[in-house]
Amino acid sequence: MTPRRRIAITGIGMVTPVGNDTPTTWRNLTAGHSGIAEITGFDVGGFPARIGAEVKDFRDSPTIHPRLLKFASRAHRFALAAAEEALTDAGIRPGPDTAHDWGCSVGAGMMVVTFNELEAVHDFCASDGGFRPEGLLNGNFPADPIAFCRSQTNAGLALLTRHFRISGYASAVHTACASGGQALGTALKVMRRGHARFMLAGGYDSMLNPIGLSGFCLLGALSTDNDTPERASRPFDATRNGFVLGEGAGFLVLEDWKDATDRGARIYAEFAGDGNSLSSYRITDSHPSGDGPIQAMRQSLANAGLAPDEVDYVNAHGTSTLMNDRSECAALRAVMGAHTDRAAVSSTKSCMGHLIAAAGAVEAAACALAIHHGIAPVNANFAKADPDCAVNLVLERSKPMHIRAAISNSLGFGGSNSCLAFRHPAEAHTP
Amino acid sequence: MNATPRIVFTGIGAVCAAGLDVESIWSAIQARRSAIAAIRQWDASDWPVEVAAEVSGVDNRTLVEDRKLHKTISRTDLFGLYAAGAAIRQSGVLTLRQTLDDVAAAQFNDRSAAFVGSGGGAYESNYEFFPLMTAAGGDLRRFGRELCDTVNPMWLLKHLPNNVLCHVGIRHGFKGTNACITNHCVGGAMAVAEAANRWAEADRAVAVGHDAPIEPETVLHFHRLGLLAHDSVRPFDESRSGTVLGEGAGAVLLETESDARKRGAVVLGEFLGSGCVTESTGVLDVRSDGDGLSRAIELAMTDAELSPRSVGMIVAHGNGTRASDASEAIALRRVFGADLPPITAFKWSFGHLIAASGVVDLSLALTCLRQQVVPGVPALRKVDPDLAPLPVSANAQKPRGDRALVLCRGFGGMNVALLVRADPDSMPVE
Repeated sequence: MTPRRRIAITGIGMVTPVGNDTPTTWRNLTAGHSGIAEITGFDVGGFPARIGAEVKDFRDSPTIHPRLLKFASRAHRFALAAAEEALTDAGIRPGPDTAHDWGCSVGAGMMVVTFNELEAVHDFCASDGGFRPEGLLNGNFPADPIAFCRSQTNAGLALLTRHFRISGYASAVHTACASGGQALGTALKVMRRGHARFMLAGGYDSMLNPIGLSGFCLLGALSTDNDTPERASRPFDATRNGFVLGEGAGFLVLEDWKDATDRGARIYAEFAGDGNSLSSYRITDSHPSGDGPIQAMRQSLANAGLAPDEVDYVNAHGTSTLMNDRSECAALRAVMGAHTDRAAVSSTKSCMGHLIAAAGAVEAAACALAIHHGIAPVNANFAKADPDCAVNLVLERSKPMHIRAAISNSLGFGGSNSCLAFRHPAEAHTP
Repeated sequence: MNATPRIVFTGIGAVCAAGLDVESIWSAIQARRSAIAAIRQWDASDWPVEVAAEVSGVDNRTLVEDRKLHKTISRTDLFGLYAAGAAIRQSGVLTLRQTLDDVAAAQFNDRSAAFVGSGGGAYESNYEFFPLMTAAGGDLRRFGRELCDTVNPMWLLKHLPNNVLCHVGIRHGFKGTNACITNHCVGGAMAVAEAANRWAEADRAVAVGHDAPIEPETVLHFHRLGLLAHDSVRPFDESRSGTVLGEGAGAVLLETESDARKRGAVVLGEFLGSGCVTESTGVLDVRSDGDGLSRAIELAMTDAELSPRSVGMIVAHGNGTRASDASEAIALRRVFGADLPPITAFKWSFGHLIAASGVVDLSLALTCLRQQVVPGVPALRKVDPDLAPLPVSANAQKPRGDRALVLCRGFGGMNVALLVRADPDSMPVE
């Protein structure tokens, strides 16, 4: 078997609750600063969970034309900004001669209609609670074609490919909380197939609106520690009681190893492996044995040509819900055996909350930065050990260390599991 | 590198307004019967567009027997699960699993992949909040306080875009590599391409496309954008005026040819290659020069190591809109020159299935090849002189070979081309 194509990460862009760019996000993640507070975007006073991880003081990139921005939802705007930063950071972008060689793969959120738009339909068609379609035919109903465009499932992909003039392979995926991971995994596979030479890949989401927040409140999945927002997300802590909803975007620029080295690009890490599986158990519950995530991790390591004991850092899915964290730890133990006690584990959701469809992409970026800077970011807010989560957490403060390889888990509602593997650029590539 | 194995189709499932399986859809097409009719899901008699191609008169239990599931998934998911179940059943792969011991069966499941092109209702899912919004009278605090007493606690799960992927896994035990592609119309076609390309990670894969776009808001927006016809889809016709929305799902089961032969499965066709590109034109616009589509076709040809001459027939996207059909004709001429094989398109029969369209078209393409018939397009009156000559006809034609090109286009300037052929065993090797 000939070696798999080696893929380099040469650009990173992030818009997160702890920073509107990569340097700020990384500084705050490693310092353990929380981006979680009472939600300010709308009146949350009546909701059971009133805290969230909002992106703060966001400004659109001045390079993006205002007309294009009209077609962008809040999540799309995060995506455009993070993608712009990633391309600038990489020092390479699609041009007239290379547009066909560039692909784009995104994990897109599921919310496509704003609350204001829904209120308009309610006012015209359902003021007494029941839906009457004829209200839409009222001449005053604001049927906005631009809002229609924004509501298409691939609207964000369409904006990104148009703005950055990417005209090769393009795909949008959605597997709930695993979306970002699966989008990056797809990008890796597409490049190894030779179907793209460069990829802009990532994820974006914003469910911090009345309907999105409601969806998770109804499921009882959110932490209701409304009075102590900064401590609410405490993955693997014995007293954890739910996740904190966040928003944002993360993008990576991926290119062929030889292309990257030939142009003298800075390589953060090798994007070495992708694994994904279906738990096929229950729609929200994870199997207590870790079945599902186990297969994703094994597949990813095999795909990367990594032995489990070469993994020095694990960016856990670590949502801070009772079941997820327990199941994920069981899976880590099953895959890594005794090495579980040595590999550093942290969930960056402890600081920035759960970015849902963007989570996997932002956390992949965190892995690449951890390898590049030689720092495993802290698992913040941990106070009391849970015997069912016996992993080697990065506690108190971030840990300087050489990271030969890192993995990032993303486990979604609906049972899709994604595990991505990254290797230090100086480590030998064993295909 | 291990040589790429031959990937074949051994199971097909389909549901749309024209029928509940490929055979009945094919019969309707052969009988030149269109399933486009007045919308029944709501009274559309005063609407600027009154027609669609709805799946009607079918009990939900016919689609998904488990009644408990009906409360936790939406209409589009019923179609997807139905088609996936039919494809898996026809393939007979689960019979093989029954013969395995526990360890081998677990490995079987881990090597069974699922790929879904999911459309889904963008608008109606949120309507479940209307009673709460009315009760709250614009007061968000009250909305928050009364939320948990008013709205179905499973609301979010009912509307997950990846529900079909999830439940295909749970129902059939598929646990391998997977994706849920939410790339508008091309989602289903891309699911097939992804399934065929992941042969190293899976021994079998089900690829599904499903959608239920016939919602009042969607119809209104499509109409205002000038995308909808009032009566029928007339692909490449001089008088074409738009498309008609349909709903349904298609699914195929893919595996390697050697696995299929080993277990004595009936091979329904072979996957040869795919191409996928965007025109980077934004959500709605289409390039007038056909550039994106022609590149997708050329990539599929390269992937399959084929020349245009070896394509025996084309199932065009042919959605009946002015811009898409015109650029499709230009793209086809760019690739094939004057040497175009017979062309057909199916949206006149069961409307535009959006995310499901590519898979259902692919299923029918395999039937065309087996029957050696390129069905006529009864809705076609006169080929647009600006697009002529184009070998598309109101009457049936004969394919010039055993391979078909299936085209699928969608919002976001997306273009996907798939190349398939009939059972390689029954066809002469060139």
